[in-house]
Amino acid sequence: MEITGNAEESHQNKFALGVDSEHKATEFKLFSFAAPHMRAFHLSWISFFACFVSTFAAPPLLPIIRDDLDLTATDIGNAGIAAVSGAVFARIAMGTACDLFGPRLASATLTLLTAPAVYFTSISNSAVSFLLVRFFTGFSLATFVSTQFWMSSLFSGRVVGTANGVAGGWGNLGGGATQLIMPLVFDLIKHIGANRFTAWRIAFFIPGLFQTLSAFGIFFLGQDLPDGNYSQLHKSGDKHKDNFARVFHHAVGNYRGWILALTYGYCFGVELTIDNIIAQYFYDRFNVNLNTAGIIAASFGLANIFSRPGGGILSDVVGKKFGMRGRLWTLWIVQTLGGVFCILLGKVGSLSVSIAVMLIFSVFVQAACGLTFGVIPFVSSRSLGIVSGMTGAGGNVGAVLTQVIFFRGSKYSTETGITLMGVMIICCTSVIMLIYFPQWGGMFCGPSSKGTTEEDYYMSEWTSAEKEKGFHRATLKFSENSRTERGIKKVESAPTPTPDRTPNTYV
Amino acid sequence: MANQGSLIALILLSCLVAICYGTVSFSSLQRTLIVTGSPQTGQVLKGGVDKITVTWSYNTSFPAGTDSSYKKVKIMLCYAPISQEERAWRKTEDHLNKDKTCQHKILTTPYKPSNNTLTWTVEKDIPTATYFIRAYVLDSHDKELTYGQTTNTEKTANLFDVLAVSGRHLSLDIASVCFSAFSVVSLFVFFFLEKRKAKSQTK
Repeated sequence: MEITGNAEESHQNKFALGVDSEHKATEFKLFSFAAPHMRAFHLSWISFFACFVSTFAAPPLLPIIRDDLDLTATDIGNAGIAAVSGAVFARIAMGTACDLFGPRLASATLTLLTAPAVYFTSISNSAVSFLLVRFFTGFSLATFVSTQFWMSSLFSGRVVGTANGVAGGWGNLGGGATQLIMPLVFDLIKHIGANRFTAWRIAFFIPGLFQTLSAFGIFFLGQDLPDGNYSQLHKSGDKHKDNFARVFHHAVGNYRGWILALTYGYCFGVELTIDNIIAQYFYDRFNVNLNTAGIIAASFGLANIFSRPGGGILSDVVGKKFGMRGRLWTLWIVQTLGGVFCILLGKVGSLSVSIAVMLIFSVFVQAACGLTFGVIPFVSSRSLGIVSGMTGAGGNVGAVLTQVIFFRGSKYSTETGITLMGVMIICCTSVIMLIYFPQWGGMFCGPSSKGTTEEDYYMSEWTSAEKEKGFHRATLKFSENSRTERGIKKVESAPTPTPDRTPNTYV
Repeated sequence: MANQGSLIALILLSCLVAICYGTVSFSSLQRTLIVTGSPQTGQVLKGGVDKITVTWSYNTSFPAGTDSSYKKVKIMLCYAPISQEERAWRKTEDHLNKDKTCQHKILTTPYKPSNNTLTWTVEKDIPTATYFIRAYVLDSHDKELTYGQTTNTEKTANLFDVLAVSGRHLSLDIASVCFSAFSVVSLFVFFFLEKRKAKSQTK
């Protein structure tokens, strides 16, 4: 339901963008910095970008670090796995923190608490200390969850896929940008006169400072919700402070969250794995020099500038016409094609064809990430944070699993590992077929013949006692606004909710 | 069109020729140089401080005139097998253009059959590892002809260690701690400000 008509114009004037009944923006203006919507968008993608830069700052400088710290190939592999495993639990914790304290405080806290790990990288002097700093720095990747949560809180269903996709994609860009930034910073510092074993250490202050400053930006300039921050709204009673146990229960009890966590492991998890192994792959298999391998590695991550946002936009476009069923079909098709190109990548033997296949593969895999977060905002209203966190964590679990099974030790050659990873992508993506929303349907079934509505689905997350106290008001508005997920033809013909219906509990 | 085709063919041909020309295999080289280094077996040299003295001469037991095409000598610091373990970036390959055993150049100098000596301070950015010294003899095209080294064929004798200068400095340590403390302290300041703001807004 959009705000139209003269009576509501005073609301309209308060915000720079068009808004719905929850004051979520119904449009997405990329070059605007207007508070609170677009400003929050820019703050969140920039800080997430900074965290990605920090987490993957070590790989491009490894040729120097491995000599300084006397690392073996196993040490390097373990540190790479540690870098992505820390975020598994951090992402779930972040989801909880967002539900309870709001994304602004949650992300500023995490960013500031992980900055010391980046600074301490400068003083690491052994394989163990190097692994530890990479592990703790990797926790910062949990800011992904606060980014997606924040966008889902500020942007309506029409543009949430776009907002999530651009914020996520431009943040992920950090993983590619760092492969270019860190060597440049290192060269500059060496030029000024430092020895190379000192220069790489000084270089780490750059991502550390970037992270610290981005946290300051979020705290002073950001706002959790269109109407204010959690702490103000809690105190004034406009937003009640939710019960962690209930929020957690509704998140883990919703099977759709688990399915999407698994499939996210095979788009985002694959992306993280490739970030860690692709430079070495090109270096070893095609004998390019380290700088060239770094540029190729960077281009994989840099595709995120349009591919993940493209996935989000595609999700919104398809969602508008075909509703949730369209979003699910598109996600399945794009991610399966990503798997096909992955199989191909391991098979091609020439350098130029390999680079071309890698770029096509990157577009599909990253678009699948964007498409996933076009579906997530609709899985749960009350437990959005934890569901986002679980999915994000699933991404990292996928990265850890894939690296441990296919890219550790000498069981498989790297090219065989890549092909097998592609097969695994296709298999794991097929579970999307099991997702079913009673109010909208799934890939193969239409909506429930019982005439279930959006209210029924989302209200089942609140008990009658909680409803009496009025805690569910925000969810009620969300349910109304989510009717857009029925697709164009069906919005008029679908059943509308009647107030005295007793809603059933939906699994 | 025909011109483009013949140009491409010419470039391809010259690449192939270069590959054939440039690929020298280590196993085809004879050991005609006798090289000795000052470090004792197992001695630990400190980077930036300690010195190495290298002497080399032509092994006269080879037929006279073998060294007629010898033009330059390239002396390198090379990794011993123990420092190559689990480190594919230091791997020994027979084709010299892919070989990564010797990564640190000490000196390139014109060839003389005898009375060659050199003193070299171990540079600061030589990594901590176990090494030996190898000298390649180059012809006028910079192609390797023969070699000599301080160790035996199995690379087990006369190996010495280098202890690198740590890149850490006290100022870096202090800066790390200060910036980290600043980040954590500002977080607590934020919490305090937030609580205060929430209270004042509901008054």
